[in-house]
Amino acid sequence: MTATVTAPPQQPRAPHPPRVRAARRKPLRSRVPDLIMAGPAVLVFVLMFIIPMILAFVLSLTDWNGYSLNFDFIGLENYRFAFKNPRTVDAAIFTAIVALVGTTLCNVVGLAVAVLIAAPGRANTVLRTIFFYPYIISSLIIGFLWSAMLQPNGVANSLLAHVGVGPLPFLIDPTWAKGSVIATILWSSFGFNMILFIAGIKSVPNEYYEAATVDGASRWQQFRAITVPLIAPVLTVNLVLTLVGLLKVYDVVLALTDGGPAAGTQTIVYQILKDSFARSALGLGAAQSVVLLVVTAVAGLAVTFARRSAEQKVAA
Amino acid sequence: MSAATRRGTVPGAAIKWVVLAATALVMLIPMYILVISAFKPQAEIIQQPLLIDPSTFTLEYLKEALTSEKFNVVRAYGVTLSFVLMVNVFGIALAAPVAYVIARGRKKWHMCLLLLFVSGLFIPGQVTLIPVVFVLRLLGLINTVPGFILFETAATLPVTIFLFSAYLRTVPRDIDEAAALDGAGQIRAFWSCIFPIMKPVVATILVLNSISVWNDFVSPQIILGPSSGIYTVTTGVYAAVGQYSTDYTVVFPTLLLAILPAVIFFVIMQRHIIGGLVAGATKG
Repeated sequence: MTATVTAPPQQPRAPHPPRVRAARRKPLRSRVPDLIMAGPAVLVFVLMFIIPMILAFVLSLTDWNGYSLNFDFIGLENYRFAFKNPRTVDAAIFTAIVALVGTTLCNVVGLAVAVLIAAPGRANTVLRTIFFYPYIISSLIIGFLWSAMLQPNGVANSLLAHVGVGPLPFLIDPTWAKGSVIATILWSSFGFNMILFIAGIKSVPNEYYEAATVDGASRWQQFRAITVPLIAPVLTVNLVLTLVGLLKVYDVVLALTDGGPAAGTQTIVYQILKDSFARSALGLGAAQSVVLLVVTAVAGLAVTFARRSAEQKVAA
Repeated sequence: MSAATRRGTVPGAAIKWVVLAATALVMLIPMYILVISAFKPQAEIIQQPLLIDPSTFTLEYLKEALTSEKFNVVRAYGVTLSFVLMVNVFGIALAAPVAYVIARGRKKWHMCLLLLFVSGLFIPGQVTLIPVVFVLRLLGLINTVPGFILFETAATLPVTIFLFSAYLRTVPRDIDEAAALDGAGQIRAFWSCIFPIMKPVVATILVLNSISVWNDFVSPQIILGPSSGIYTVTTGVYAAVGQYSTDYTVVFPTLLLAILPAVIFFVIMQRHIIGGLVAGATKG
């Protein structure tokens, strides 16, 4: 009897230690160490990211030349000029083409190759490395490499001559040059999309494929009914990353074509940096940057939301 | 079951391997040409792109590229490597504590802090570059190494903080409490008890940041600028190759030297690079 009476008071003691710990945690969780730990990063980030973001809007309304700190506010003149300027409009159109075609090609090729070599095995591992390696090389150097090969007297035309095909104007005809830029981007970056797709495919439980095979589903049916829906989140990530990345494409164009021929391969970032630094019109460059920022954010969000509803439809 | 799949696979497998082999060739031939062309004279590069003739094989052009006055590639290796190291050290030293505060915090401002940094993921660096030049000019840091490191470090923060705080959420709070019971202050407890546990995610970030800093061209070109006289591998290649793009005896050896460290890094770290990219992209 006494035992049962003394037992209950002990029970509330069991949850007691956490309360002691909570009490001890309190002084440690004071704000001072939090501020010391968060402060420096916030300071650097605000200085180099947030303030510049706001400044981009402010500078886009000025005629700043980049050197002096004296400049005048000229209202929306930079925006008006940019939208009327055929150079900028052409650059915007080419950038949109690169972003849309490049995103499609990189993901179609990346997914196709991923499906073929997702299974474990030595040959597949080697192939993965071969398809992926250009990704870790600077796109400027990729651009120079392909530029050297695609010149009128370059390696590609020399090889074509061996099989009796006349020299092709890879970099000297505006239309060909546009194709060359996209092909170079595809060559150097579908491997990245492939790697993400493979990671997605590997996360699909094997039982699904086994069950589908038992049910007599063909490889294509399995791909459509199992692989595609289950890697939907990876596809979203791939689409957004490629699209946002290609909207700011610059290095590879600079090295491959330098925006030519006849300014046919100038991209928006090429235009921004040219106006800002070669033409010393940083106000104009800032205005175009702001437009690019808005377009990038809208495109990124649009794809994310469109894909999210597609993902939900698949899940339902 | 096996009859159906076998019927599909025999010609299917043949087509699959032909397609894969052809794609692999397209991927490898440019690299093969880049390597062998670094050891050949101009005429040979153009006329026999795929062959290397032992009688005309020469190390002369490679030596010229190594000792070029226009582009000191060995120095550029050192400069770029030191930038990579500095950005990694500063980036991680800044990001880790703030990620810890975010991961452990339960208040609204912790969430806002995370959102502040994550917003950086969606802002292309090129967009902020022009105003960054303005800010650095105000601070007197334009065309200087500290200015460049400051910008590059800030640029690594969004991804680093995002991955760090995601990882730290999986680290049990018991460890904080154990450290607290030992009498360590919060900051010391973090660096001595929590940070060592973060090894895997720190490795991921090291790989991601190293690749992006090593390959970056626009920021060093604009922020450091030719007037600083400091060239990274990419800005140096641009200065050296840009004007000679049809003198292949300059182009190919220079490009070979430029990619060599990245390729070696890739061969050694391949698994970490691929794992890191997957982690970075799918969690981000």
